Amino acid sequence: MLQYIVRRVVLMIPTLFVISLISFAIIQLPPGDFLSSYVAQLRAEGDAIDAAQLAALEEQYGLNQPVYVQYWKWISGILLRGDLGRSFEWGKPVSELIWDRIGITMLISLLTILLSWAIAIPAGVYAATHQYSIPDYLMSFISFLGLGTPSFMVALVALWVGLAFFGVNISGLFSEQYIDAPWSVGKVLDMLSRIWLPVVVLAIDNTASIIRTLRANLLDELNKPYVETARAKGVRETVLIWKYPVRVALNPFFSTVGWTLAALVSGETLVSVVLSYQTSGPLLLRALTSQDMYLAGSFILLLSTLTVIGTLISDILLAWVDPRIRLEE
Amino acid sequence: MKENAGRSISRRNFLRLSAVLGASAGLAACGGAPSAPAPTAAPVAPTAPPAPTVAPVATAAPPQAATAVPAAVSTFNEAPMLAELVKQGKLPPVDQRLPKNPVVLTGMDGVGKYGGTMRRGYRGFSDRWGPTKIQNEGLTWYNPDFSLRANIVESWEVSSDARQWTFKLREGMKWSDGTELTTDDWKWWYENVLLNNQITTALPAVWSTGSPRVAMKAEFPDRYTAVFTFQDPKPLFAYNVTREQPFVHAGFMKQFHADFTDPAKLEADAKAAGFETWVQLFNDKNWWWTVGRPSLGPWVPVNTMTEQLFIMERNPYFWQVDEAGNQLPYIDKITHLLFETPDAFNTRIIAGEVDFQARHVSIGDFTLLKENESRGGYQVVLGVSANHVAFQPNHTAKNPKIREFFQNRDVRIALSLAINRDEINELVFNGTAVPRQYSPLSMSPQYYEKLTKAYIEYDPVRANQLLDQAGYDKKDAQGFRLWKDGSGPISFIIEGTAQAGSPDEDAVQTMIKYFADVGIKATYKAQERSLYTERFQANEIEAAFWGGDRTLLPMIAPWIFLGSQIDRPWAAAWGLYYNNPNDPNAEPPPEGHFITKIWDIWKQIEVEPDEAKRNALFRQILDIWAEELPMIGILGELPSPTIVKNGFKGFRGGFPNDDPTEDENLLNTQTYYWDDPARHTN
Repeated sequence: MLQYIVRRVVLMIPTLFVISLISFAIIQLPPGDFLSSYVAQLRAEGDAIDAAQLAALEEQYGLNQPVYVQYWKWISGILLRGDLGRSFEWGKPVSELIWDRIGITMLISLLTILLSWAIAIPAGVYAATHQYSIPDYLMSFISFLGLGTPSFMVALVALWVGLAFFGVNISGLFSEQYIDAPWSVGKVLDMLSRIWLPVVVLAIDNTASIIRTLRANLLDELNKPYVETARAKGVRETVLIWKYPVRVALNPFFSTVGWTLAALVSGETLVSVVLSYQTSGPLLLRALTSQDMYLAGSFILLLSTLTVIGTLISDILLAWVDPRIRLEE
Repeated sequence: MKENAGRSISRRNFLRLSAVLGASAGLAACGGAPSAPAPTAAPVAPTAPPAPTVAPVATAAPPQAATAVPAAVSTFNEAPMLAELVKQGKLPPVDQRLPKNPVVLTGMDGVGKYGGTMRRGYRGFSDRWGPTKIQNEGLTWYNPDFSLRANIVESWEVSSDARQWTFKLREGMKWSDGTELTTDDWKWWYENVLLNNQITTALPAVWSTGSPRVAMKAEFPDRYTAVFTFQDPKPLFAYNVTREQPFVHAGFMKQFHADFTDPAKLEADAKAAGFETWVQLFNDKNWWWTVGRPSLGPWVPVNTMTEQLFIMERNPYFWQVDEAGNQLPYIDKITHLLFETPDAFNTRIIAGEVDFQARHVSIGDFTLLKENESRGGYQVVLGVSANHVAFQPNHTAKNPKIREFFQNRDVRIALSLAINRDEINELVFNGTAVPRQYSPLSMSPQYYEKLTKAYIEYDPVRANQLLDQAGYDKKDAQGFRLWKDGSGPISFIIEGTAQAGSPDEDAVQTMIKYFADVGIKATYKAQERSLYTERFQANEIEAAFWGGDRTLLPMIAPWIFLGSQIDRPWAAAWGLYYNNPNDPNAEPPPEGHFITKIWDIWKQIEVEPDEAKRNALFRQILDIWAEELPMIGILGELPSPTIVKNGFKGFRGGFPNDDPTEDENLLNTQTYYWDDPARHTN
């Protein structure tokens, strides 16, 4: 087992290297660079930028160098000094921008996962064990609705309802007086009074898909001989269901930890954009559209690292949860 | 349609009315406001020095007495929050903070009240121009009639050949840290920033003349006099410096300059901040938003602009007062809250959380915003946009047939006559715009009716005649005209950045239908902005639909009229040539072409000291435009909405919302105030 983990960790290094190369190349693919959007903006603001000034700016941002030089500058900074580079758009070191936001994003995502599992697992189990009952139909109906409605749409509707019926603007994670305040009990309470909205909105989508997957998996398991055997031996029905088939039916969730980890820091992009949350998703989105390459590149590298680590964790978890899976041969 | 028309007329009337109101208020303010009843102004004044902190509430105290007492102590009044600091000994008295001769400025609604917060929205650091324009002060600034007044400087003089400009500083004027602004700061900037070729790698046009550019010479005979001498005449220099400061706080910026601090330490600091050289660090610090960098603005930054909530607070040393001697600004604090999408911003507006803002408020959302006025407790006040809905045929298109087609004056006139402007106005803009060519706004000093109204009538019959006469009389089976050599049909691609569903996209599609009616096939292609930029820079564009702005004061931003602003690529290759003859995509215009006449006239304007002569020359350019119609304007003077919370005073509709006049800040944001400041302290 240990040997397996070590081998996997060593394999991560070339994987991440290739990912960093590809992500940097992809960021450079669209026409223009950060300067073209920046200069366009300056022009829109009435600033007349001429060729000489443009060249000076290119020099300043290092954009006149070949791509491999820019790549080397970036990756060597990360490897040698842990320096993620500087964001052009925000005029700030990347590291100062992302860590704050990742904290809040992870909080929202973790709460979302906990909430959706807390609802979906019992609901899915119930739906499978009571197949074709009225509650099953009801749950299927609701979860299809949840699956079919994009979460940014739900967020927009929630915004409108809040405004039209309660006269409050529910966007933003903090009230204005707390945004700039240092952390305090009041600020935490203020956040908790608002954070439920994104959590619920995001959980709707999530819950629905978990219910559907769990129900289908469990239905497959319920008719298998080992269940019959256990029942014949007189194991109590609830214990039987939860101890054997549910554990097997949960396998897909463990095997997707790899994506879940990355989704933790970027899964809420659209909802956050709609509700104006200072999470990492909107930051990444804007970095990509403005071709703020060091910010976008560092972000993608971070997400990839999380995915790679997540895949490893999910493999280990699977082996641990399901004794049928063996790592070697 | 009827209803729409009715509504639009009332809106237009409203616009006119507000313009008239604005003008008369401006007059009233200048003329000492004879009709203004004294009592309204009175309660604002009392800042009786030691009176127990609740000063502004004391309505019982006779204001005359209040002003009489401090007269011996103080000539000027200040905000309660500053008076408090003075009392605590943390700030010198207001008289010592103001220059000997402060700018006296009274807003549209007269003398205001101190206090309150103004809440706004922004999109983060990349959207810094919004806050920038609020606090920006230049050497000169505009009066409401667009003439210039002295601002940072007390006065200016220009030599008869317009080469030498002399500025007198205001004695005793202070930076926001309390140090005095003198020519020492100007000199330090001139020698160590402008003339340092590491910091200034390319000379800005403002501080230089000629081609290649030669920097101005600056001399400073005494602490309060600056003399700038240019190699060539620079008659419009007073306009060029409405938003510029030829100085920095030397004491503050020295700590980031390699000639004034230990270079090794500076390089280390730069590295630590993520920069490669000290120059990058210097440039990064040399912005007004650097916290702690002394400034001259009415409000100074309290935190960094990368925060979710960017806060600015009053500058206790601000050097402007109103006619009653109250130090400006009136409003204590300005906040900018970050938003990600227009929807989120609109939600805040409707919820009444935005106090005063034009930036990011779109006319496309007019109905939504108007409907919710009473819910949000605000009003949508309409100004005038300097932009035009316009079509640019590229006279230098790479396809020789299209080039020949667009270079034909009759063709351009025919295309203009083929457009039913009133219908587009009703269909797309609810009739709120004005049919006109791309031309100076009607409130602009350069307004010229002949150009504004040239060929804007809808006359498809005449359009067809002109196209027939131009040699494009043969048609294919579907009725589309053929090129002169019989191939065809004539077709070209119009590029722009207006995406599907936007008003501009509706407008261009409607225009394409009118073109089809006279047998011309055109298609619209929406491009992502940076791709669009690449394409016009390479002269790849056949025709564009990218509007036209800079129409309030075209004298200081004439580039669309010259064809040199090639994002409006009506002659991209020639424009590139004007900017840089060595550009690989540049082409010289043919000898005697009208664009060369425009350029020749502009060369004369650039060096003409006499204003009347300059105006006459510019009129000649507009005459050429009226004759030749280089690009085709469709609609202009679109209403531009500003959100004004109820009880927010000092702003007027009907004024242009344009960049050179800093949008909603033209009328001096420091003179805006809350009718009831106590209710707006957030």
